[in-house]
Amino acid sequence: MMEIDRADGRTPNQLRPLACSRNILHRAHGSASWSQGDTKVLAAVYGPKAGTKKNENPEKACIEVIWKPKTGQIGKLEKEYEMILKRTLQSICILTINPNTTTSVIVQVVHDDGALLTCAINAACAALVDAGIPIKHLAVAICCCLAEDGYVILDPTKLEEQQKMKGFAFLVFPNSIHSVLPEGSLLVEGEPVEHGIITSVTHGLMSVEEYLKCLERGHAASAKLSDFLRRSLKLQLPSDSSKAK
Amino acid sequence: MEDKPSSSPMSFVDQIVVPGDVVLDLSTMTNQTIKLGGGLRQDSDAISVMKAGKLRFSKPNKYWVESSQKRYVPCVGDSVLGIVVDSKAENFLVDIKGPALAFLPVLAFEGGTRRNIPKFEGGTLLYVRVVKANPGMNPELSCTDASGKAAEFGVLKDGYMFECSTGLSRMLLSSPTCPVLEALGNKLSFEIAVGLNGRVWVNATSPSTVIIVANAIMNSETLSGLQQKIMVDRLLQKIQT
Repeated sequence: MMEIDRADGRTPNQLRPLACSRNILHRAHGSASWSQGDTKVLAAVYGPKAGTKKNENPEKACIEVIWKPKTGQIGKLEKEYEMILKRTLQSICILTINPNTTTSVIVQVVHDDGALLTCAINAACAALVDAGIPIKHLAVAICCCLAEDGYVILDPTKLEEQQKMKGFAFLVFPNSIHSVLPEGSLLVEGEPVEHGIITSVTHGLMSVEEYLKCLERGHAASAKLSDFLRRSLKLQLPSDSSKAK
Repeated sequence: MEDKPSSSPMSFVDQIVVPGDVVLDLSTMTNQTIKLGGGLRQDSDAISVMKAGKLRFSKPNKYWVESSQKRYVPCVGDSVLGIVVDSKAENFLVDIKGPALAFLPVLAFEGGTRRNIPKFEGGTLLYVRVVKANPGMNPELSCTDASGKAAEFGVLKDGYMFECSTGLSRMLLSSPTCPVLEALGNKLSFEIAVGLNGRVWVNATSPSTVIIVANAIMNSETLSGLQQKIMVDRLLQKIQT
């Protein structure tokens, strides 16, 4: 396997420094900001509020996502991000608890330096926890990039995304669970819950083996992200208005 | 990925848990009745966490997750501060910061009959008690206590209402008296109503007293008992000088 040089000196499996703060917006019912290196996203959650939209099922809670880019008008790309986020968050929220309500998640891009969608998913998940919306488990998102020689790198910066990439995959996994059950009893079809995958979005061309390699690398890194999220939640919970880095 | 040692259910009590964590295994606890409070849900034999917070246990068999949010989950028996949004023929629609508007029947007052229905405009602040809170339905309120007496429920006139988190309301209502309220009560005289839904109403003869009390309470959320006393003393000193 050839060693690949990354511009900022990271190894292929190394993530950028992570930072997460919760409860930063005064008026929002839940808010979080998540940054990976220079990419930073702010997410705000309002709700649950009474009433659902027209085409939504009134027997379930409805989640509405609004994506606000840093500059420019809202176009198809933003609508696509909104749809991906909405489906991901719908699968982690427990929708039967507050039927006929709407929870709005507003995602504001503060700076985009690569891996924007994953940063947004992580921020939205942290904001949902901050707002107290009942969720089944947390979601951690990771971005894997495929270079021309079949090499997989994680968490690309914008420069790396533009230069090298044959294809890339955004993957969202459930977080690792601490449990009192003996290992092996929480299996879903023979595998622990953490081995599942919630969302996978791919761009570009890649073969099946390359995709499976991305999945494996992404899964290994999701454990680190999961630990970071757990630690940052533990630090902030006793005192709500302090920030954790 | 490490797993916590799964020796006993007590290993998670009083620890901060994150959504998804499995805290109880029912297959090892046969012949026991367990009561689950907020933040926990049952998934066949495993009890898992829905909201991040501290897992609490009270003997003999109650488990719940304690967390502090800006929105409120209606529970029967809570006293809350509601704001009238609209009035219908049979009940008033009241906003209590929950997922749905609550109904306050027009007859749910002491000595309430069809002839003396109170007239509440939109925006009236009420101190009410939650009577019914079923999932999926609008909660029901009442301005009387369980025996039908008024017992301080009803309209709150004058004063100033501000919002806080549910955790802060619980701290203000805890017994023995919360340090910030005790320190303020030693020096100032004021009237206060705390709703478990994260609303607090303060009334005093002079506006400056109302402002001091409101600011002191809002600042005290993250402070310990001693820090709260020091903070109140500093605030009061600034006023005297």
